[in-house]
Amino acid sequence: MKQVKKYLVLTVIISLSLVQTGCDKFLSVDPPYSQDVENFFQTPEDYDRALTGAYDLLQGSFITLWIGEIASDNAIAGGESVNDSPGLHQIDAMTHGGVNNELRNVLRWNYTGITRANYILEHKDNIDFPGKAHILAEAKFLRAYYYFELVKYFGDVPLIVDRRIGIDEVLQIPRSPKTEVYAQIEKDLIDAAAVLNPVASQKGRATKGAALSFLGKVYLYQNKFTEAAATFDDVIASGSYSLIPNYNDLFSVANENNSETVFDVQYTGLEGGSYGCLICLEGNAAVGFQGIRQYNGPVYGDGNSYNLPTQELYDAFSSIDPRRGATVLDIDAFIASQPNPASITYAIGAGGHTGYYNNKYIKRQGEIGLPDNDLTSPVNYRVMRYADVLLMAAEAHYQLGHTSTAQSLVNQVRGRAGVPGIPVNSINVIYKERRFELSGEGLRFFDLVRTGQAATYINGFVTGKHELFPIPQVEIDLAGGHWSQNPGY
Amino acid sequence: MIKKLFIQILFIGISGLAFSQEMFVTGLVKSDQNIKLPYVKIQEKGKTNGAFTDANGIYRLKITDTTNVSLIFTFSGYEKQEIKLNGRLTIDATLVEIVNNQQEVIVGYGTAKSKEVTGATTKINGENVEKMSVARVDQALQGQVAGVNIATNSGSPGGSSNIRIRGLSTFGDNDPLILVDGVVYDSEGLNALNPSDIKSINVLKDATAGIYGVRAANGVIIVETKKGNINSKPQIEYNAYFGQQQTSRKLDLLSAQEYAVIKNEMFAMGGQDMPFNNTNSGLGTSWQDSVFQTAPIQSHNLSISGGTLNTRYSIALGYFTQDGIVGGPKSNFSRYNARMNFSTDMSTKLKLNSVLLYSNDSRSTLPENGIGSVLYNTINAFPNVPIRLPNGQFSYLEQVSDIINPIAQMQNQYNWNTANKLVGKEEFIYSFNDHLSFTNRVNYNVAFVDGKVFSPLVWYGEGKYANTALNAQLASPTVELAPGVEINRGAAVYEERSTFVDLTYESFLNYERTFNENHKVKGTAGVSIFQRKGNSLSGTGYGIPNNSVEYADISANTAQGGYLNNVGSWQFTERLVSSFLRAEYSYKEKYMISGILRRDGSSKFGPNSRYGIFPTIAAGWLLSDEDFFKVKFINYAKLRVSYGVSGNDQIPNFAYRGLLNGEGVYVFDDLITQGVAIGRPSNPDLKWETTRQLNIGADFTFWKKLDFTTNYFIKNTFDLLFQPDVSAIIGSYGPGGYPPVINAGNVSNKGVEFEFAYHIRKKKNFSADFNFNATSIANKVTKVPSGVNYIPGASFSVGGDVATRFQQGYEIGYFFGYQTAGVYQTQAQIDAAAVVQEGAKPGDLIFVDQNGDGKISFTDDSDKTYLGSAIPKFTFGFSFNMRYKAFDISGMIYSAIGQEIIRNYERQQPYANQLGYMVDRWTGEGSTNVNPRVTTEATHNNLFSSYYVEDGSFARLKNIQLGYSFPGAKLKKIKVDSFRIYVSANNLITLTRYQGFDPDLGSSNALSAGVDYGFYPQAKTFMGGIQLKF
Repeated sequence: MKQVKKYLVLTVIISLSLVQTGCDKFLSVDPPYSQDVENFFQTPEDYDRALTGAYDLLQGSFITLWIGEIASDNAIAGGESVNDSPGLHQIDAMTHGGVNNELRNVLRWNYTGITRANYILEHKDNIDFPGKAHILAEAKFLRAYYYFELVKYFGDVPLIVDRRIGIDEVLQIPRSPKTEVYAQIEKDLIDAAAVLNPVASQKGRATKGAALSFLGKVYLYQNKFTEAAATFDDVIASGSYSLIPNYNDLFSVANENNSETVFDVQYTGLEGGSYGCLICLEGNAAVGFQGIRQYNGPVYGDGNSYNLPTQELYDAFSSIDPRRGATVLDIDAFIASQPNPASITYAIGAGGHTGYYNNKYIKRQGEIGLPDNDLTSPVNYRVMRYADVLLMAAEAHYQLGHTSTAQSLVNQVRGRAGVPGIPVNSINVIYKERRFELSGEGLRFFDLVRTGQAATYINGFVTGKHELFPIPQVEIDLAGGHWSQNPGY
Repeated sequence: MIKKLFIQILFIGISGLAFSQEMFVTGLVKSDQNIKLPYVKIQEKGKTNGAFTDANGIYRLKITDTTNVSLIFTFSGYEKQEIKLNGRLTIDATLVEIVNNQQEVIVGYGTAKSKEVTGATTKINGENVEKMSVARVDQALQGQVAGVNIATNSGSPGGSSNIRIRGLSTFGDNDPLILVDGVVYDSEGLNALNPSDIKSINVLKDATAGIYGVRAANGVIIVETKKGNINSKPQIEYNAYFGQQQTSRKLDLLSAQEYAVIKNEMFAMGGQDMPFNNTNSGLGTSWQDSVFQTAPIQSHNLSISGGTLNTRYSIALGYFTQDGIVGGPKSNFSRYNARMNFSTDMSTKLKLNSVLLYSNDSRSTLPENGIGSVLYNTINAFPNVPIRLPNGQFSYLEQVSDIINPIAQMQNQYNWNTANKLVGKEEFIYSFNDHLSFTNRVNYNVAFVDGKVFSPLVWYGEGKYANTALNAQLASPTVELAPGVEINRGAAVYEERSTFVDLTYESFLNYERTFNENHKVKGTAGVSIFQRKGNSLSGTGYGIPNNSVEYADISANTAQGGYLNNVGSWQFTERLVSSFLRAEYSYKEKYMISGILRRDGSSKFGPNSRYGIFPTIAAGWLLSDEDFFKVKFINYAKLRVSYGVSGNDQIPNFAYRGLLNGEGVYVFDDLITQGVAIGRPSNPDLKWETTRQLNIGADFTFWKKLDFTTNYFIKNTFDLLFQPDVSAIIGSYGPGGYPPVINAGNVSNKGVEFEFAYHIRKKKNFSADFNFNATSIANKVTKVPSGVNYIPGASFSVGGDVATRFQQGYEIGYFFGYQTAGVYQTQAQIDAAAVVQEGAKPGDLIFVDQNGDGKISFTDDSDKTYLGSAIPKFTFGFSFNMRYKAFDISGMIYSAIGQEIIRNYERQQPYANQLGYMVDRWTGEGSTNVNPRVTTEATHNNLFSSYYVEDGSFARLKNIQLGYSFPGAKLKKIKVDSFRIYVSANNLITLTRYQGFDPDLGSSNALSAGVDYGFYPQAKTFMGGIQLKF
């Protein structure tokens, strides 16, 4: 009997101590047969797949193709009615405020991209393998791209680097000063440029030239003209890029990823999609949305009449400039020029009508993706092309007093377009040239703000307020309410 | 060791025989009601020799000595008695029946006399469950316990209920912890439990449930199954009932003629051509008459129980089957049960309790309580078309794409689930002495769940959402199985097999001792280790031959290469390691204080907050034992108070970890390239919900007949687990991304409960029990996550506005919409109205301007307001049992008052049928101020408003039963102990103003409760049964 007691007491002691000491291990259960966030990055393929995930968010850039135009004097919001993407209509009218789904998407999507890039960089030391440095460099390029988008829209934004943040930490993270964010972007792009291949191993991947071009652009946005000029000069001197002969060929699917392509956001028409999740698409949503409403006729496909160029933009072009027709589609003139105009029909949306469509990014026959083809356009978004690099270089050089360099760069661009060269005797000449060359590509609003011309050109633009978009109020609330709103909102 | 003990016992026995003089003590044992008691155990104190009384209450016990000997009389249900021989050899005894406050109550890892209990617990005896004649124990519990609200999720056979102990306390899983003989049962799995196997149910409602720690916040229900009695002859029991069920209600729908008139008016009002030239179409088709049917129900239970000196056993077999009142065998629930309870004293010190429950339950189901369910289609199907056309084809109801012929729909539904479940316990209790015992037990719960869905090629008419074929000839659509591999889909079968294995090891010490007569000390200390593993495999096979259910198996698929589609699998492991401590002290059984401390470690949470400590303290004061307490008519008075902390860990496994289930897809070299991305971000700080509960209670017995218990509680739940919107900077809003599970939000429940029990037992020919309970609970969300104004819940109508919300200051899932104030009668009234209501015409609903800005805003929420809630303000239960001579009658009434229901089963489409109230629609000035006009033009009348909210209060006679027991004398001749026959009815009468099928409608989702999509009503059942014992 004594023995029984002893044995039992021992059992109690053992089981109690087991519970206290052994349970940490016992309770750390890994999900069976699955890689989850905490046990990833075991093989080079893991890094590569995570990198693909980080690239994915580039496809959300179509929203900049809209806002960069609609917020400017280039385009109106359009669409079925003023309740069709009301956020865009408010931005069009410069009445936007703290409730705006499109701006919330900009914030959400770019932070998701940043998080995915940070996720890779957080685990940069897990394993070593050949090619890791290139993957990390691509991740840095992407992080810089996403932060640059945010800083363009919102100015100061929370800077999170090489880590993910938890739900409690959200409430403590402040908006970092714009200068700090820019410093990080520059650092990432410099690091990336040092490693990235000059020629992409696969179409769509970031290259050294892309990193340097964005670095130059980032300098330019900060008026760091010396650094900008030097950086753009590096890109030009690399000889990797050249303007393609025909401006009209620039935006067709057939001519994608040509010698002028510095960096494209890649899209495909090979996968269907739904309106419920535009960021889930593999196609370029902007193209179908910018198509001609209920169009029935040749060359083009029907769409949702978004982002319609203004009369003012059309008129700004010289009538001899071929870029006018390549940029702006005069729909009635086009129909009239067709063999059987009476058979061609289209509708006017209640969201606005100008008679013009964005002829660079528009749904065309032969470039139509799978159903729903308003959502699955294969047309890449040319976010950085060599002509832009040349004009930015011209701008930087002009600001440094290198007038002749600037002039030759500008006229190189004009020459390709097939318009005569002009004297560059004012910075405004270069600004104007940017509009002729780059309208419809989502750059105009940010160019106007950057160069201090926004109040002059945009109706309703309030200086000191509209340079930045408001942080969506709900995001301020979700971050604990301590972020200050941008001035004026 | 055990062998040695046996030899010792044997040796003592033999030596007794050999060396001592034989003496016998005899006597008669009766109850305090003067009834002779058989099977009373008589033991010599401190010795192992014992005897039992025979059928006449006579015993004969061999003893060795008469001077220093005491006899101990024990009998279940009666107080233990000790009598000194003092030289006598004839000892008669009168045993006193245990009154309520002396009954044993299970409190978790131990028992207590109800007199000692300091928490809020309620005990229900098995008979009260069995008597309800229902498939599931949760259905039987409705209305039986104060503070426990049970709402039915579905009236279909095998449909679950929602058990809410002391209110809705969380956004997520509100189910209590259910333990069957100590084995964890999930509430969904209650289908497996046979109500006839239940001996008792104890409900722990307050913080003293905290002995179960991180799983106790929603309360604990402890179910004990039946056991045999020591030294009783084998008792065979056979119980059976048969019944017929029918719907408890049909809706008042428009006849074909009313339909034609109203639809013509509707189209004319909308400026369209009238669809029906001839409105003289009579009653037309009553879809309800064809959809509802009478359906059989039957139950059989056979058990044998008994015991020897050291052993008790109870073995049972059960069979239950119930067809549905909608669909008959297509919504059937059947169950086979086998049970074995076995207890034995392996030695004087070591006792084994063994439980084994096996069940096989299967359920077939139809789509229910949703848009597209059979009853939704039944309500909305047009009365002016036949079920079948003269050529035998089902009519298509073509004018509305999402209404299909409900008869055709039922015919084409094949949906089965089968669960095989094995639940058991092996428990060893070692008693060191009278004070200290040590329990070790292993519990297991193994479930194999198979599901199968067969979808034949069907055609319900042009454009119907439910079509699986391309046309009426049943041409098959094609499916791309892999790039370039296309097949005809054909008939498809989906199969899923899941396995769940729970294992629990528990080890604890119980100590109980009274010092110096007045100081009673009890202690419990122990550990518990729990593991649950689950896995599942599923897939779809295409091309089932002949479009026939006969071949509905994956193996029969004709796809090229045997391809399966939608193949999936999952597996998980969860673990819980706990230690617990309970200490109780009472002085003179008058002042009681106890403390509980439980520490849980759960694999559901991350390393940052894996362990939780849950303390509880409770005290009681037995006022009636005080000398100064001299109130004559109060025989018993006790005050109780408890306060403690418990947790709720009911979230998916690994919710604290990030998942790589996002979409990370990009285009390289013009090809879609699959990458990987975080779907749900991690939240390593994720922890359990915490509930702090204060309970103040009192128990009284008046005039020795009326027991009264009341409790007041404040239950506050903090850190609710859910997935609200989070900040963009978390980075979870990319493709395939969703927010993390976080702790945010608080909920408060305050309530008061009353329980009355009145007994009449004294009369020989007559006895009666009456039980009444009442509960009032106020539920309120006290905090929502920062940055979130409210969490949206269920939608109204198809694609309509959000109608329910989780919002600070209101009940969980309260209804939010426009308040109406009658109907505009004239254009002049509209023009003169102080409030501008855009688009209003005479006959439209008048909305109330909530924000006082002089106009009704239809683009935002500023004019919407609180319109009610699905949470009852009061619930009542009343039951009675009366016996007069051989006749008995019993009944049970349940009532819930003060809740609202959203009428959401009307398809707002021009051709859909409507309820009879539309006969009283607005047709011109002064016609009605209640129902709006009918029109096909766009109006705001279809927006969610108080017009669609109805009072859901009801009272229901859940069961009434009349029985007759045949006289014992005659039965004895044929060796039968007792034989009773009865007739019984369930849901015979329901009093309610609610128009829908059934006001007793719940939902497992707190935010969809009270939204009626065409609820499958509970059946009205008439039964006859027999109970036979021999």
